[in-house]
Amino acid sequence: MAIFSVYVVNKAGGLIYQLDHYAPRADTEKTFSFPLDLVLRPHDERVVVAFGQRDGIRVGHAVLAINGAEVNGRFTADGKDVLEFLGNPANYPVSIRFGRHRLSSNEKLMLASMFHSLFAIGSQLSPEVGSSGIEMLETDTFKLHCFQTLTGIKFMVLADPRQTGIDALLRKIYEIYSDFALKNPFYSLEMPIRCELFDQNLKLALEVAEKAGPFGPGS
Amino acid sequence: MDARFTRGKSPVLERALGRPRSELSLAAFALLFSELVQYCQRRVASVAELQARLAQLGHHVGLRALDALVARERPGRRETKVLGVLLFVKGPLWRALFGREADKLEQANDDDRTFYVIEREPLVNTFVSVPRENSSLNCAAFAAGLLEAVLGASGFPARVSAHWHKGTTLMIKFDEAVIARDKSLEGR
Repeated sequence: MAIFSVYVVNKAGGLIYQLDHYAPRADTEKTFSFPLDLVLRPHDERVVVAFGQRDGIRVGHAVLAINGAEVNGRFTADGKDVLEFLGNPANYPVSIRFGRHRLSSNEKLMLASMFHSLFAIGSQLSPEVGSSGIEMLETDTFKLHCFQTLTGIKFMVLADPRQTGIDALLRKIYEIYSDFALKNPFYSLEMPIRCELFDQNLKLALEVAEKAGPFGPGS
Repeated sequence: MDARFTRGKSPVLERALGRPRSELSLAAFALLFSELVQYCQRRVASVAELQARLAQLGHHVGLRALDALVARERPGRRETKVLGVLLFVKGPLWRALFGREADKLEQANDDDRTFYVIEREPLVNTFVSVPRENSSLNCAAFAAGLLEAVLGASGFPARVSAHWHKGTTLMIKFDEAVIARDKSLEGR
């Protein structure tokens, strides 16, 4: 389970395909009594932890569920405001689940176009003449590999840092794209890819790549 | 073809009729077929019309493929029985056009005019993913038109249509006259 997601970005920087293959969920659910010793505050559409990191609950984690029912942005499942609900001592003891929130599709679009720009900036900043854009971004929890084709399409794969064979996987995804998207009469160029055969073959390729790579202790 | 007739002006026709050894790139055919479908789609207003257009294009291909193929595979003999021509279609014709035989050939239980050629994954549909709005469209309508032309030119007029059943099924419905003639031949 070491390949997290695949993104395909077109020439203009728009996200045309996205697949979340595996998302390591780091949720923590705890029961609290009044008063809450974490400081919560609203941020965008969610309620996030601002202060009071403890026991796996970190700053930036969002409130995902209250008493088992998933919250809807800033409101609980029955429509009450989350902060008001948690400010009322009568609702305690309450069990809250915190965790990293999943990206919405709008956010993914924005992040993909941001990466598209950074990719171009990378090739211009480079001291070597004629260098390509960003091919790999490494952090301690994941590695982002990017492959740009001759036509300007970018294939990005986010995987576990220990996973090998990603270059071959990127070439394979390019092959699958040229087969099942470009040869499909119902696909228009540069548009979001909505082809069943592309999805199926991509998932198969990811599974093959994962089986071939080393198994880390977490998977 | 005898050089007397072409007098050296047509090297293609003067070549021997033996089996061609060349292979065709699947990618090249797939891209051509994809453009074919897009070309038809721009000129029609409904799924049924699109299938009819594809069938018409397949018709042209079928007529031209038949003569050379029969001359290579069955020199000097002509199919006169329905079963004979169907087995020819399932085997040599499919192999020459698509590189492999059709999966199954069946007859309808209740109707002696209807036969089915079944293929799990027809070659023309290898890279085609039909969007959900047009899910009834089957690009194997091209193969259906091809088959209709082949049967018609062989003396077995029929209607062939493509359906999504066990993969792709081409339903062949022969004309009454054909079945009647076949029965009288058997009776002899």
